[in-house]
Amino acid sequence: MVQDLSAVATLEAVSKRLGGRQVLDRFELAIRAGEVTALLGPNGAGKTTSVSLLTGRLRPDAGEARLFGLDPARPAARARMGVMLQAAGLPDVMTVAEIVTLQSGYYRDPRPLAETLAIADIADLATRRCGALSGGQARRVLYAMAMCGRPDLLVLDEPTAGMDRAATRALWGTIREAANAGAAVLLTSHDLAEADMLADRVIVIDAGRIVADDTPAALRARAGGSVIRCRSSLPLARVAILPGVRDGAADGAEVRIVTTDAVATVRALCGADPGLADLRVADAALEDAIAALLTPDHRIAA
Amino acid sequence: MTALASPIGVWNRECIAELKRSWRLPQFILPSVITPAAFFGLFTLAIAKSPQPGAVAAMLAGYGVFAAIGPALFGFGAGVAMEREQGLIELKRVSPMPAGAYVAAKLSAAITATAAAVALIYALGILGGVRLNAAQWMHLAIVHLASTVPFALIGFGIGMRMGGKGAVAMANALFLGSAVLGGLWIPSALLPGWMRGIGEVLPSYHLGQIARGIVSADMIGTTAGHLLILSGITAVSAAWAWTGWRRSPA
Repeated sequence: MVQDLSAVATLEAVSKRLGGRQVLDRFELAIRAGEVTALLGPNGAGKTTSVSLLTGRLRPDAGEARLFGLDPARPAARARMGVMLQAAGLPDVMTVAEIVTLQSGYYRDPRPLAETLAIADIADLATRRCGALSGGQARRVLYAMAMCGRPDLLVLDEPTAGMDRAATRALWGTIREAANAGAAVLLTSHDLAEADMLADRVIVIDAGRIVADDTPAALRARAGGSVIRCRSSLPLARVAILPGVRDGAADGAEVRIVTTDAVATVRALCGADPGLADLRVADAALEDAIAALLTPDHRIAA
Repeated sequence: MTALASPIGVWNRECIAELKRSWRLPQFILPSVITPAAFFGLFTLAIAKSPQPGAVAAMLAGYGVFAAIGPALFGFGAGVAMEREQGLIELKRVSPMPAGAYVAAKLSAAITATAAAVALIYALGILGGVRLNAAQWMHLAIVHLASTVPFALIGFGIGMRMGGKGAVAMANALFLGSAVLGGLWIPSALLPGWMRGIGEVLPSYHLGQIARGIVSADMIGTTAGHLLILSGITAVSAAWAWTGWRRSPA
């Protein structure tokens, strides 16, 4: 493999078995500076395992994990990384200011407390005990802890899970700013709209393999351009052979069709099913693109 | 170039934060501080009709070791297991915090609780007529505070391997087992041979014997011999705790 010079974190031919299952097999991944990379895939595909290997939580059985050129198990390698974990807890009896200050102390040149709190929009929570925070507030505190050390690599595991709409938008803004300022951002998400909105690059993993690595726009284009939704009594087998159709799914009478040529498909659909109703045509979303890439039993839940 | 903070600063701040946390959760610390002193007062001073100061001093030597076991096993064993379940440890482990700072912080909280517990026992002992010279008090305090270390390492190993509930049960069993089989409540010389035999693999037995030696009570074996075995037990416990930390998935 050619060495990617802008890569801040890499997995090289990494294999990892967990609980008797080969989660990753000679897996390759490179996270580059100034880029938001979204890691997507169904549960069990290897997203969390990849992140754990990059952050030093797990060690590869074979191959090599590198963080800023060092072994991620060494604290020095993690000194330029900020991590926001999905399942992480906060100590109930410590205040927000105390826990953020403690975390800042792990870094040599941390942001001032006020700046960190402002970035995560939690200045008003500084004296609150962590045990008294709502789920969304706790997520923002965890984001502050990830940002306090001026990280060159920001790892965000489902960052906006449990956040309301306004907080989610605000967080997306600061993540984008961090990437524009030159940081590498690695994002895992179940929210495909989030990946579409934020990511420069989407990596889709399925069963421990990368099935796509491209920009969101290119992935959408690959899905064929358009999605048709309608109510139809036509069997899926008939729908599948209509012109332009790449993928179809039915939920009762509600049919969803991915097509490369919406006009031709709609024309044929009208001819084939006189009872056609509720016809809607839209641009393919990232979700449709990814659904088309995954094996049927691994489809991401919408 | 490294972007790591000075390790001494990190260790200090981690210790202070842990002490603050313990202070704000008195329900966890108070029982392990008060129970040993209460047992000592009840069994040694209140029940015995006219306790001999020498016998009280021998009991004080054992109860001081007992006082170190609770904070070490419950603070580390149960505490670490619960923090692991809550995802607190995982967050620390992906940060640049050196693992040593976490261990030092937990240890400092356990030793502080032990110090409070043995201070209570010493005060009761003096009230009960125990008279020791300054060197004896000092050596006793060192042994009692140091007793925290091997039990903390054992507790740490348990905490990294078991869930919260399992760790509490295990800590309770070890807590009582170490006290009884180690001869901290009833002197080992009076225990049946098989109980003493089991006790000899426990750090509490060797710590208790060293402490008895300091107050000039009759002891089994020599201080040097007990120290040698203790350093072996401590080294094995440290290795066990370290592999638990390294291998634990969360």
